[in-house]
Amino acid sequence: MAQVSIIGGGNVGANAGFFIAEKGVTDVLLVDIQPGLSRGKMLDIMEAAPIRRYRNFLSGSDSLDDITGSEFVVVAAGAIRTPGMRREELFAVNAGLIRSLAPEVARLAPESIVLVATEPVDSLTALFTQVSGMPRSRVLGLGGILDSTRLRALIARELDVSMEIVSAMVIGRHSDDMVCLPRYCSVAGVPLPLLLPADKVASLVEETRTAGDLVVELAKRSSAYYAPSAAIAELADSIHMNLNRVFSVSLMLQGEYDLKDAALSLPALVGSKGAARVLTPELTPQELAVLRESARKITAALKGEVAPAAVRNGGTRGGTK
Amino acid sequence: MKVSVIGAGNVGAKAVYYIAEKNIADIVMVDVVNGLASSKALDFLHAAPLRGYEVRIRGTTDFGEIEGSDVVVITAGIARKPGMDRMDLLKTNVGIAAQAAREIALRAPNAVVIVVTNPLDVIAMVVLRETGFALRKVVGMAGVLDSTRFRWFIAEKLGVWPGDVQAMVLGGHGDEMVPLTRYTSVGGIPLDQLLDAPSIEALVKRTRTGGAEIVSLLKTGSAFYAPGASVAKMVEAVIKDERRLFPASAYLRGEYGFRDIYLGVPVIMGRNGVERVVELPLADGERKSLEASAEAVRKGLDELSTVMGARA
Repeated sequence: MAQVSIIGGGNVGANAGFFIAEKGVTDVLLVDIQPGLSRGKMLDIMEAAPIRRYRNFLSGSDSLDDITGSEFVVVAAGAIRTPGMRREELFAVNAGLIRSLAPEVARLAPESIVLVATEPVDSLTALFTQVSGMPRSRVLGLGGILDSTRLRALIARELDVSMEIVSAMVIGRHSDDMVCLPRYCSVAGVPLPLLLPADKVASLVEETRTAGDLVVELAKRSSAYYAPSAAIAELADSIHMNLNRVFSVSLMLQGEYDLKDAALSLPALVGSKGAARVLTPELTPQELAVLRESARKITAALKGEVAPAAVRNGGTRGGTK
Repeated sequence: MKVSVIGAGNVGAKAVYYIAEKNIADIVMVDVVNGLASSKALDFLHAAPLRGYEVRIRGTTDFGEIEGSDVVVITAGIARKPGMDRMDLLKTNVGIAAQAAREIALRAPNAVVIVVTNPLDVIAMVVLRETGFALRKVVGMAGVLDSTRFRWFIAEKLGVWPGDVQAMVLGGHGDEMVPLTRYTSVGGIPLDQLLDAPSIEALVKRTRTGGAEIVSLLKTGSAFYAPGASVAKMVEAVIKDERRLFPASAYLRGEYGFRDIYLGVPVIMGRNGVERVVELPLADGERKSLEASAEAVRKGLDELSTVMGARA
């Protein structure tokens, strides 16, 4: 069976392994530098297999070398937010980790598709792409798909309809400047603005914007991990099965909306070659202005992060070698 | 939970298969042909150890077994054969549906009834009248099938995952279908940003004749996988109270400007059947097409009066 490797045995990594197991399509390897941690978690998941009936093989390792030949590599290592912290504040902490990890992943699994889940996801996706030298179609960031999933859940709650028939689109930076596109959100094809008054839509958008913060605030010692893990499993599935599903994923911009030198989430067809095709739905001047500003901030962060001295392996959990 | 499917032909049996695989309800198949439903039910059960479904499936000729069903699907009826008079077909299927409806009213008075038998919008009216059920409890399946076909053709054309394609259709089944291409999108992006107008029109045309395309390939018989899957999706929405938005044939009381008629419109389906009809703004062309669709249904209802008169 093809292998998905997840680097970082924290909550996002382990639960992504669990959700992928339930889908039953690929083997999963969880890697963490803390000896035994990932093996313990994967054993626990494996021992539920007789009841949950998955048939794929899950394993843990302390050695990054074991990711060799993986089809899909998820980077879920690094420090997480504490209440009140903005995602961008983690850049200085986690950039070092990405800098050291990217060349290793490119060496060990050169044909893989990489998903960066470490925050701040857009700057680190851009950094990973630059450092690894891998094509942008194969270095994706877990951004818009998560924001879109949250908006979907909120729309379904508001309209009291099945979540499955709700489609939502959030693009841009995975931060408070994310761009929610209500006119590209729909319920069984019916655009959201036809089903909800503008003020209601605006409040759902606002709730989506702060949904991640709310989880951090409530959980205190952890950030969100169920929804992120579920999103990772959907991507793993679409890649392995070459489904070309449309997901809003962060990736290096190459002239989309005249933007470059930054990674932002845009809808893309995700399959066995990664982001095979990036879609650029029509945007208003206001939305474009937000994207431009988000891109500018990411470019600035990348430029500020130059010296190897910035490497501070400060991950609370799962910082890999 | 219990689902009964009346008519163990290809569509009925395939619907039972899809429902069984969902593991959400016990299933009874009823068919007047001796041994037909019971043989298919047995065959399903023989596959249970491999497929892992845990629900009971029974096949019978006895309507008594639908007792207490939460959902009843009516697929029984004959298909129109070459040379058959339209009124003869109507007469036969009205008779079959009316009998089923009376049995349902007697034995499963709280059921939601999903009508599949053609001519759909007319048969749904027969079932409504014969059961005397609340309007929301009787609904017809056609739009889900038309829209799933449309969705597949779009996905195939664009090379995307079919689950990401959303499509809404209105009106009657097949030729009278009114596709709402403005309300059709891929991953939320409206179709007209992804395909030019002639390409969309070609897909619409293929959808309209989607059933006929399969008939012409099969030579004998018509489609049953997609129709069966469409039925199962509606059944699941009721059983699990999913409140899904489906295009379905619903009794209208002024929605879209129509009254006392079954017509394909977007509805929210849940535990009570049609929880509500969703009214969407229509463009002039769409409205005209919907009116033409309604006109065809009205004509069918007139024919029904003639047939019912003859039966009396």
